[in-house]
Amino acid sequence: MKKAAIFIVEDEAIVAEDIRETVKKLGYFVCGIARSGEVAIKKVREARPDLVLMDIHLAGPMDGIEAARQIHSRFGIPVIYITAHADDELLERAKVTEPYGYIIKPYDERELHSVIEMAQYKHGMEQKLQQSTLTIRALANAIPDAIMLLDPQRRIIALNEPMAQRLGQDTVQVIGSPVADFNGEGSLNTVLYSLETVMESSCCVQFEESDGGRWFEITLYPIPDIDGSLTRIAVQYHDINDRKEFEDQLKEEGVSQLEHNMEQFQILNDEIRNPLQAILGYIDLDCAKFRPNIGEQIKNIDTIIARLDQGWVESEKVRNFLLRHYRHGKGDPAGGERESSRGGQT
Amino acid sequence: MHTLMLVDNDPAVRDIFSTFLKKSEYQVHVVSGGKECLNLLKTTVPDLILLDIMMEPMDGWETLNAIKKNPATRSIPVIMLTGKQPTYNEIIHYGGRVEDYMMKPMDFKAFIHSLTAFFERHSSRQREAQRLQKEGFDPVLIDEYYQLARTSAISENIRQRFGKTWRVNDNDYRMRKDRLHQLQATLRLPVSDPDTNRQAERRNPNHGTMHK
Repeated sequence: MKKAAIFIVEDEAIVAEDIRETVKKLGYFVCGIARSGEVAIKKVREARPDLVLMDIHLAGPMDGIEAARQIHSRFGIPVIYITAHADDELLERAKVTEPYGYIIKPYDERELHSVIEMAQYKHGMEQKLQQSTLTIRALANAIPDAIMLLDPQRRIIALNEPMAQRLGQDTVQVIGSPVADFNGEGSLNTVLYSLETVMESSCCVQFEESDGGRWFEITLYPIPDIDGSLTRIAVQYHDINDRKEFEDQLKEEGVSQLEHNMEQFQILNDEIRNPLQAILGYIDLDCAKFRPNIGEQIKNIDTIIARLDQGWVESEKVRNFLLRHYRHGKGDPAGGERESSRGGQT
Repeated sequence: MHTLMLVDNDPAVRDIFSTFLKKSEYQVHVVSGGKECLNLLKTTVPDLILLDIMMEPMDGWETLNAIKKNPATRSIPVIMLTGKQPTYNEIIHYGGRVEDYMMKPMDFKAFIHSLTAFFERHSSRQREAQRLQKEGFDPVLIDEYYQLARTSAISENIRQRFGKTWRVNDNDYRMRKDRLHQLQATLRLPVSDPDTNRQAERRNPNHGTMHK
């Protein structure tokens, strides 16, 4: 494993030297020492150490707390405080800068070692967390669906960019705001209403709604905490406009085909009765004499039946289409039947 | 001798009907469509028009409308003679203006018989209408009564023929029956189904107009 590079900030030369010796003994690499806050910041920028040991009391206008704050915020390098006194006021100020450790002089080797190790571990974990946050954010923004997480008070905890765009806001600005604040458009109304159901039942709610001229499948699902309590609700907008349009078009085609078939059936119904009427008449008059006429009329009937057959085939197509799309399972004509047979068993 | 006009787009049907009608000593004018019918009506006034429905480009209902709109032809009775099963709406809409709705195919003997029965019923109705007018009843009421009586008789026949497969608006059907009875009471006619005679005919298998 690579030796961790440590930078020391201490205004007393002897103490600095003492720390350096101890740190070296513990097996770390000392990449620099500074005696004031200003110099420390400059040197740390160049040396990029893994860790900074910082005396709180420094000579000069900048004290250790301010230097630590700048080093951590500007370079993301963890800082451990070293101080002789531990008064409460100082501790409070130091806390705000999120130090990775705190060592009170006089210290022993073992203490310094464990604090440095803990600080490195914590920093490593934080970096991993930051990485995974970036990954999750990248994932959340990579999908076209608009997503947000709400807390039980209906405030926005997190959201992706498509959702921020929907709300017409910047992602960061929105966080913490009650979702009701953005209730300008119709669908959020339904979302607010459905939140009640999700919180009462802890069940997922899904509905389709048109918003801003496009159709969305909107899903609200509860996200339980480790102990099972409901702490977050996810809201997802999935754009189904193209599917809807396609379905509408298919529906229209299906209906117009059915109407056409019905019209044809009506015409054929009427037409088939004409040759029957004629045959009836020929039989009444003189069967033998009108045999060719009867044959001709029978041929007419046969033609009409062929057209009925064709109409049946066309109607079957429409029926299968309707079954496929508007019964239980999408794209599965047998789905409906399976569903009902299961219903029969229970 | 009665003169009939037969309107049908099917040549075989025209031939066979005119053969039987001529045999039964009717004078027959045969035309192949609605437009031809209206044209011939300019020069010929028949005693009855037998009108097919499914015809191109002018169908039977359109032809009926034109006949009943024209004052010169309005009083000519019309019987629909068709293979098309009517909808309830069609009967409500047109039933008051047609004398009967006959469905092909039908037995020719029964057909000829029902024509005879029609002419008898028609003249007795005309006499009845004249009497009611003389008695001072409102002609609007008299007209409403006969229209409703026709509609009711036709829908009753179709209901008997097709049973439950013929979809009827039950509420509307009942309301029409009630109004009919009301009118019969007002016009001091026997309150019964005006079509009792024809129903009796239908119950007799030798007299039915409808071929089963």
